[in-house]
Amino acid sequence: MNRTSTEPGPAASAAGLDPSEAALDVLDLTCRYGSFTAVDGVSFTVAPGELFALLGTNGAGKTTTVETLQGLRRPASGQVSVLGRDPWRHRREQAGAVASIGQETGFAEDLTVAETLRLWTDLHRLAPAGGTAELLERVGLSHRSGTRVAALSGGERRRLDLALAISTGPRVLFADEPTTGLDPTSRRRTWAILREIAANGTAVLFTTHYLDEAAELADHVAIMDRGRIARFGTVEEIAASHGALITARVDEAVTALDLPALDGETRCDAGELRVRTHELQADLHRLLTWADWRRVTLHGLKAAPATLDEIFAELEHEKDHR
Amino acid sequence: MTTAVRNAPLWWTLGVAETRLIVRNRAVLLTAAVMPLAMGLLLSQADSALLAGSGGALAATQLAFVQMFGVFFTVTMTLASRRQQRHLQRLRTSPASTTSIVTGLAAPAVAIALVQMLILFALVSLRTGTAPERPDLLAAAFALGAVLNTALGFLTASFTKNPEAAQFTVLPGMLALMAGGLWVLLRSPAEITPVHLLVPGGAITDLVRTGWDGTAGRGLTETTVLPVVFALAVSAAACAVAAKCFRWQPRA
Repeated sequence: MNRTSTEPGPAASAAGLDPSEAALDVLDLTCRYGSFTAVDGVSFTVAPGELFALLGTNGAGKTTTVETLQGLRRPASGQVSVLGRDPWRHRREQAGAVASIGQETGFAEDLTVAETLRLWTDLHRLAPAGGTAELLERVGLSHRSGTRVAALSGGERRRLDLALAISTGPRVLFADEPTTGLDPTSRRRTWAILREIAANGTAVLFTTHYLDEAAELADHVAIMDRGRIARFGTVEEIAASHGALITARVDEAVTALDLPALDGETRCDAGELRVRTHELQADLHRLLTWADWRRVTLHGLKAAPATLDEIFAELEHEKDHR
Repeated sequence: MTTAVRNAPLWWTLGVAETRLIVRNRAVLLTAAVMPLAMGLLLSQADSALLAGSGGALAATQLAFVQMFGVFFTVTMTLASRRQQRHLQRLRTSPASTTSIVTGLAAPAVAIALVQMLILFALVSLRTGTAPERPDLLAAAFALGAVLNTALGFLTASFTKNPEAAQFTVLPGMLALMAGGLWVLLRSPAEITPVHLLVPGGAITDLVRTGWDGTAGRGLTETTVLPVVFALAVSAAACAVAAKCFRWQPRA
């Protein structure tokens, strides 16, 4: 169990929200399907104005965690609170203040885009500032305003779904794979909107398979694996805890034994040199000095902090070799 | 960013949207608006001897058919298809309550049935040369019938997997409604007992007949209170069961 609290962004404080009160609070959450434990003792908090990414492969427990927070399922044990209340009990009262995106379906197909949005805001008894036109402009659907939902493409439906979610001015937004299946322009537009509403104090919890999306958007990332949080922190923290990677190609005759003493973990197989280190600068210096002295050419030398991709691959590797 | 506004009740908001959907879907519009009316016209041309000759019996039969097809069947179909499109699932994430959602989706069907009913009652009047003795009871019968048929539609939709299946799942409800109506019509008003009123459709039929033909000296309890109470009780029971069993998400 890794209990972690996070600081809200400056925007949240500027929006006048109480930074001490977490928008989402998950404590030792466990969920089961029969005898299968889908979520196993997960804890985290998300502050107002924070973008929080849940990463993980299929079956890692992301969706179950989100559904519990949405109040759609009851935890087997542990506590979840959304805006200080139990989502299972208070889902209806919190509708609007808590919104979700990620569905392409559920629209009345023969209503137009504008009518669909209008119906949604009317049901919440809200009048969005700037009206529905401005909302459609924000998600890039103004040109489709009078079109029936049935005629929209998959990507346009996703944008309509986003427009409905933000139309109620939510304080918490759940986004299940918000950009899966979107074209690059829509993807960037969705990112911009999520950043914008987070800057206005909305806590955003999103799940994603795209590591670049997490790296691009998230203030904090939790990587889930087999129902637990395997890694947690900012992308930089996770990368730093994982160490940087130096790679190069060398003459096949060179073995690990020829290399200088390095701080990091060193491998050299068939001319592929890999050094995983927490002391990038020192190890790189030692390696270069050694190469210079031994007159070894380091082809395609690369040194970079770990990417989420590598961390993901490593978790997968651990899983396969368990 | 957004401001709260007071506007129409949520069932009204949903009903307006649902009306748009009906008007835009020609097949639905045809079955909801034209079919019950055509059936009613045929029925009003039937030999009056078949319908015991009285205006009340004919009016009661008309109302039963109009509401059975126009409200009961339509509500079942609408709920099943909106569930299949996951529209109900989305509505459930809004502040609209179960009552608002079911009432809103049923409202246009009830409105259409009301117009049809007025046309058909006028025809009954022309055909039999009689006028309703107690229009207030007729209005009550229409309102209670709309509630009962909506409740039965809600109940039936709870065990209807998809809109196609509705053609079969409505049969028990239709049988009950027809049996209740027929049973009452085969008895004279004085012979009606609470058991007759308990069968869905029985109480409504009794009320329409009394509303058209008059109370004939019978008391308030017998002519009004009992049928109203029984119609409401049957509706409430249907709603209670439906609310427990209803699935808002389609089966995977």
